[in-house]
Amino acid sequence: MALALDTSQARRKRGFWTMARRDAATGYLFITPQLIGIIIFVLIPLGLVFWYSLHEWNVLAGSFRFTGAANYEKLLSDPALGEVMTVTAVFSAGLALLNMSLALGLALLLNQKLAFMTVFRTLFFSPVVVSLVAWTIVWSFLLQSNGGINGLLQMIGVEGPNWLRNPTTAMISVIVVQALKNVGLNMILFLAALQGVPRELFEAARVDGVPRFKQFYRITLPMISPTILLASIVTIVGALQVFAQIMILTQGGPGFSTTVLVYYLYQQAFQFYLFGYGSTLSIVLLVIVGALTFIQWQLRRKFVFYEN
Amino acid sequence: MRRTILKTTLAALTVTTGLVAPAFSQELRMAIWSANEAHLALFNEIADEFEASHPGVTVTYDSLAFEGYVTTLTTQIAGGNPPDLAWLFDTTAPDFMAAGALYPLTDTFATTEGYDIADFPPATLTAWSRDGVQYLYPFSTSPFGVFVNNDMIKAAGAKTPAELIAAGEWTWDNAIATAATVAATGKQGLVVRDFDFKIWENLAEIYAGWGAHPWSEDTKSCAFNSTEMVDAMSFIHDAIFVKKAMPGPGVSADFFAGDAAMTTTQISRASLLPKGDAAFDWDLVPLPSGPVGEYAWVGRAGIGVLANGKNPELAAEFLAFFSSKDNVAKLAQFFPPARQSLLTADVLSAANPLLTKEQIEAVVIRGVATGQSTQQVPNFAQLQQTARAGLDGLWQPQADIVGVLNALCDRLNPLLAAN
Amino acid sequence: MKTELSPRAQALAYLTLCVLLIPFVFPTWWMVTSSVKPVSQIFAFPPDIWPRAFDFSSYSDVFKIQPFALQYWNSAYIAGIVTVGTMIVASMAGYAFARIKFPFANAIFMVVLVGLLIPSEVTLVPLFQLFLKWGMINTHWPLILVPIFGAPAVFATFIMRQFFISLPVELEEAARVDGLGRFKIFWTIALPLARPALAAVAIFTFLGSWNLYLEPIVFISSADKFTLPQALTQFTDAYGGPMWNIQLAAATMTAVPVLVVFIVAQKQFVEGLAHTGLKG
Repeated sequence: MALALDTSQARRKRGFWTMARRDAATGYLFITPQLIGIIIFVLIPLGLVFWYSLHEWNVLAGSFRFTGAANYEKLLSDPALGEVMTVTAVFSAGLALLNMSLALGLALLLNQKLAFMTVFRTLFFSPVVVSLVAWTIVWSFLLQSNGGINGLLQMIGVEGPNWLRNPTTAMISVIVVQALKNVGLNMILFLAALQGVPRELFEAARVDGVPRFKQFYRITLPMISPTILLASIVTIVGALQVFAQIMILTQGGPGFSTTVLVYYLYQQAFQFYLFGYGSTLSIVLLVIVGALTFIQWQLRRKFVFYEN
Repeated sequence: MRRTILKTTLAALTVTTGLVAPAFSQELRMAIWSANEAHLALFNEIADEFEASHPGVTVTYDSLAFEGYVTTLTTQIAGGNPPDLAWLFDTTAPDFMAAGALYPLTDTFATTEGYDIADFPPATLTAWSRDGVQYLYPFSTSPFGVFVNNDMIKAAGAKTPAELIAAGEWTWDNAIATAATVAATGKQGLVVRDFDFKIWENLAEIYAGWGAHPWSEDTKSCAFNSTEMVDAMSFIHDAIFVKKAMPGPGVSADFFAGDAAMTTTQISRASLLPKGDAAFDWDLVPLPSGPVGEYAWVGRAGIGVLANGKNPELAAEFLAFFSSKDNVAKLAQFFPPARQSLLTADVLSAANPLLTKEQIEAVVIRGVATGQSTQQVPNFAQLQQTARAGLDGLWQPQADIVGVLNALCDRLNPLLAAN
Repeated sequence: MKTELSPRAQALAYLTLCVLLIPFVFPTWWMVTSSVKPVSQIFAFPPDIWPRAFDFSSYSDVFKIQPFALQYWNSAYIAGIVTVGTMIVASMAGYAFARIKFPFANAIFMVVLVGLLIPSEVTLVPLFQLFLKWGMINTHWPLILVPIFGAPAVFATFIMRQFFISLPVELEEAARVDGLGRFKIFWTIALPLARPALAAVAIFTFLGSWNLYLEPIVFISSADKFTLPQALTQFTDAYGGPMWNIQLAAATMTAVPVLVVFIVAQKQFVEGLAHTGLKG
């Protein structure tokens, strides 16, 4: 102990390298890998995306030409874009709503003190660890009009629709398939949040004769609202990034009915090799994500009960 | 500028990693979309011969997935890592030629001894050239036919195509009638292979019988709403949704697995016919006649040399060797040749032991001679996707066919006008 | 384990859970059983819950058609490196943002957080150009470097930061009085305590890398460098026709090992996730 004290005193005497300075240096050292990574792989590419969006760029022909705002004008006159935006909004909102409400419902059920809850929890979580592409390929088989889902429905005497070939059911299919895949994550987060709600609150409410559903609105929801907020941000930003599922299940069809912005962006840039226009669409996606996050963050003040 | 940096970086990388190949050794890589073992065995045999006469040269084949083939290929080109040679569809070739991505082959073919470019009928070359310069070799000129499961048709009590042909009644109407009879028994009738309600170009083998084309001859305007196309699409729609003679959207059915009575596809798929227990009594017949009378449809693929490859001269030399008379005769078993001298029943039946001489005569020789093929158009990828999205509206039981096709043309016309 | 529910409510809860479970479990079940069915029976209608005949040839075919073992290795080693790398980068950055006072720390943290909001598709084109300049197209480098240092790691840093903030400072202060340097404190005291958060980071990162799909199809073009998700979509015959049973066999081989690891270690999994700091 005495020895340790000696060295620390010796260090303090080292002049310029005070404790605070050495600490700050360590701090910078610790964040350097991440910061450099963010600069190279996020900030510079973001700047470049904006720069590219001002150009006409066809990779196959090797042409790269400054066109100013032409791509943004093209955006406004793109006949498909309105539909793509609507599809993106419906898909993201539908997915976020289904995912969050299903996750909350499952978490409430699994939070009951009943036997086998660990088994159920494991099974509901299992799709999360199944490879996304494998999961989606299997669903693409199951959703064929002569596939497994309609087979199951037939067993109970229902004639199923042609899931992936009708605009409405195709949208429902991609939302549900994606929700089932990832709902386990939010379920676990909600479960942890629910278990963190102090039991005394409920006991006090019961003594006061507050009915169960009111307990849910008055106690449970407010107490877990920070988790709901953060989970909803992550879920919506995630919904805006869904790509593989669309590619495998519907390829954006029928028509444009499941062509979400990310898929449209991929098509323009990597199938039609219009990297300039693809970059413009990237900027659009970025603005949407930024705006949504900002709105959700503002809502926090209104609806979120407490924050640590 | 960009390219210089890339080259420097690559050079630095190769030097530091010691991966620099000795100056005298040359590697040639051909991008292909087949991973079929029999195909590759034959290709490698040809490569071995070339390597024997060209010390230091090695030839490899890069089997890229059929799905996304063009995307992958273009990504390789954009990534500065192009293959030396590549198979190309007739639909994508125009964009590659126009972009200057291909190396001109006219001189190589002219100077290679015994190549005899005159052996190719001019019509087989035009799709692969631009402004009089040959950019690709017409590798596969593959006629479409109808594969038939006679067991299934007889079990359903319908007329087989062979009987209809004998009676001079092999028309689309009768073909669909037979298919509908089979479909009523619970199997599927006629499958347009690889169509799957996505790759609409594969319907061309049907709508060509109505004289229909997707775009005008100058490729500047849409022809999906032409009378011929509306009639053809109405016929197909009726066959799917009213007569149930063709599997509907979202239904998986594979002729070669015994799910369907007939399938229209290229004759090279004969290799997929089941053997052993699953085998059935099959036949191969020409496409039925349509309102335009008898017609044939041919799918085409070419091989080009990438201009940005490391050694395009050597690659062109290999291509000339690959497509010599001797080698094309061997390749004919998988890829019907465009060489006139090889389009004989003898050569072809030696190469295709599965097919009878009559089948070869009726489907292959007549097909190659008279077959139409895809109209070439610039900017195909975008047109293809746009049309795919637009045609989805057609694959509903209650579809307004004229309305859907008119709306599709409204979307395609601005794109086509830019050509 | 004492329930507050009446027997009727209990029965209702179990019934609801069982019905809800069907769409979560049936696909995996169908995938595994169909992969050993002969092709002609995969689309039997209505589907067979248990295969009528077993045909394991699809499993050996997987390896004939694609260099599947190599692709398996590619996915595994990339995910392994990315997981370890992210744990290092994120725990260091997370610790610094949570515990160390240095000028502009908050401003820098806000800049880093931008990465959390950027869908990876947005920067794909310039990243493609960047790796093209570096001669790394058709190599695994983009799949390793970007997740470790780029946007995907920010979520991991966020989790680590939230965890370190919630850790009592007293332990570290005692160590400081003992004269331990920052790095030693981080390494010997803070990090061992952060196991649950590290587990969460490891799970998220591993799954993220294992599932990566868009990036491989853009950056990688030769079959021997494919990762599993990319390889799964390539089981087609020479003309693009799908080979269903083989594709399902490959999908099963991709999914089942991770599933088994998860079931064995599900407690650590779930507890790790519950510690992601999203609790608020």
